[in-house]
Amino acid sequence: MKAIIAATIIGVIMMFASILSNNKSGIVSLATVLFFFLFGINIWEVYESINATGVAAPAYLNNMMSLDSFAIWFSMLMSGCALLYILLLGKEIAKVGKHVGEYFALIAFIMVGIYLLAGYSNMLMLFIGIEILSIPQYILAGSDKRNLKSTEASLKYFLMGSFSTGILLMGIAMLYGATGSFDIINFRMLQTDALNPLALSGILFLIIGLGFKVSAAPMHMWTPDVYDGSPTPFTAFMSTIVKAGVFVAFLRLFHASFGNLTNHWMMIVAVITATTLFIGNITAVFQQSVKRMLAYSSIAQAGFMLFAILSVNATAWQGIVIYAVAYSVATIGMFAVLIKLKDYTYDGFNGLAKKEPALAFFTTIFLMSLAGIPLTGGFMAKYFVLLAAVQQGQVMWLVIFALIMAAVSVYYYFKVIIAMYFKTGEAELNHEVTGYDKLMLGITCLLVILIGLMPQLLLNL
Amino acid sequence: MGVLMRRNAIIIFMCVELMLNAVNLLMVAFSKMFNDPSSQIFVFFIMVVAAAEVAVGLAIIVMMYRKVHSVDINILNRLKH
Amino acid sequence: MNTLMLAVEQSTPINYLPVVLQLLVAIGFVIFMVGVTHLLGPKRKTADKLINFESGIPQVGNARQPMAIKYFLVAILFVLFDVEVIFFYPYAINFKELGTEGFMAVLMFVAFFLCGFIYIIKKGALEWEE
Repeated sequence: MKAIIAATIIGVIMMFASILSNNKSGIVSLATVLFFFLFGINIWEVYESINATGVAAPAYLNNMMSLDSFAIWFSMLMSGCALLYILLLGKEIAKVGKHVGEYFALIAFIMVGIYLLAGYSNMLMLFIGIEILSIPQYILAGSDKRNLKSTEASLKYFLMGSFSTGILLMGIAMLYGATGSFDIINFRMLQTDALNPLALSGILFLIIGLGFKVSAAPMHMWTPDVYDGSPTPFTAFMSTIVKAGVFVAFLRLFHASFGNLTNHWMMIVAVITATTLFIGNITAVFQQSVKRMLAYSSIAQAGFMLFAILSVNATAWQGIVIYAVAYSVATIGMFAVLIKLKDYTYDGFNGLAKKEPALAFFTTIFLMSLAGIPLTGGFMAKYFVLLAAVQQGQVMWLVIFALIMAAVSVYYYFKVIIAMYFKTGEAELNHEVTGYDKLMLGITCLLVILIGLMPQLLLNL
Repeated sequence: MGVLMRRNAIIIFMCVELMLNAVNLLMVAFSKMFNDPSSQIFVFFIMVVAAAEVAVGLAIIVMMYRKVHSVDINILNRLKH
Repeated sequence: MNTLMLAVEQSTPINYLPVVLQLLVAIGFVIFMVGVTHLLGPKRKTADKLINFESGIPQVGNARQPMAIKYFLVAILFVLFDVEVIFFYPYAINFKELGTEGFMAVLMFVAFFLCGFIYIIKKGALEWEE
């Protein structure tokens, strides 16, 4: 709860900072300090929740929020990722447009949405969390006003996003009609044998609505265009931290409320997972632009994260935490490298290894993590979510399919590595890579490898 | 389902608002059925959030209009390569 | 929960028959009236009749002129601030029951509101005469 309040206040402070000062670098450093502060508050909360073992999870706002240890832990990790994001890309955010303070304010508000989604126990909070998360994103997507592509991305995202919100609300209303309550605990009372069509269609609407937000396959059409059109620093934020936040909401809802109804929605989610994996991976192979490839790969990664929702057990919760962090860290790192380049196509990477060996090395690590090569975070993440699915045992065919798709993904990730190391060319940089950038990328790299070697660190629940 | 059929961004937007209104009506009906005011509060929240969405959405549409002098979403295909 | 199940079981399709009848009558009436006016009404098509009727005053120019963008901003902000007031209604009803705590919550809400308002004024969004 402290973190939610702090993030809101930080947002307001950033808003006013942008009025009072025109000094861009000053605002960036203020934002960095404030996000450090936010991370600190999160750690404080985690510390408190560890000390308070045995006590029931504190409930806030008339039992609308229940911040159990998972919620607090996950919020802390997401704040950490956001801090890393700002440290890596803060200067790039300042280059997008004039309203630097507002960008950070919007990011802080998105963090509020993520905290709400991590610990909600009432559909009202789910709805508000998703909206707080989405509306700033529409603005961030269109923040580069000079660029027509950015505006288009924003409009498209807005139309699809508000449509999916409508569907999500329809699902909530139907579930309310079936149970007479918004509390997700009360949805458990739906008995499998006497399930009325209202509840069933409600669950279906919820799957579609949340599927839109996490860009699962039949509802993924907006993703590549929006991620491609938005300013690169904001694409990095939207495709990582935000997505992870929505996934946790998805997971909490389907495990806490519909866990005993698996035979009703299992097949639908399994088919969605299969399509997501297939479309994401196969289309990514044919992309020319690395940014667009990363957009499709984020769809593919969403497919893996859907495994955590499919398998209703404790391993799934561990899996989603590791997956969220490993994927976020690697992708943020990858975007931080990408933004340094002038040309976003594969050819733009030609000969990067000669010009900037350190940058090329870091890119290799990030891509290996995304592809799921052992010793990196991505491997452990994929291992945990697939392990959860195996333990659950109903969807073995899907696990085998996922392994094949992971092999496909290696192809397009390695295309970048091959371009960097084995092709000759002059990789043009947008601006110089400073020592600070290298240091931060190095730390990110270390994190990726650390998660790969010791995933238990993230499971300290 | 006007969202899927129409080509004009503003009409699509109005269709989305219609969907939200349908939800509001459903909520109020259920509220009467269960004698439970909580869903009416939910309706308030939906309305407020919809207003916020309107503000952002219209701003985006105006921004778009100033650039291309049209609100037809077919031109959005430019993003597809 | 039990009462709910009962309520659901009672609503068989036959219960909706009055609604369907009502719908049919309404739609039928509309179609009937439109058709009848079309058939019975006198038909005159002249140039005078086709132009818009503006209280007898000859029309000037086109109504679809581009509006100043500043005005649009004010309109949007008005919508936002207008709708936010909705939260005061439940508070007004439960004014006594909520007591001091409720008052503090509303104060906080208004404070955040004011933050937004000050921000708007400082940004100059409301100055539409330049």
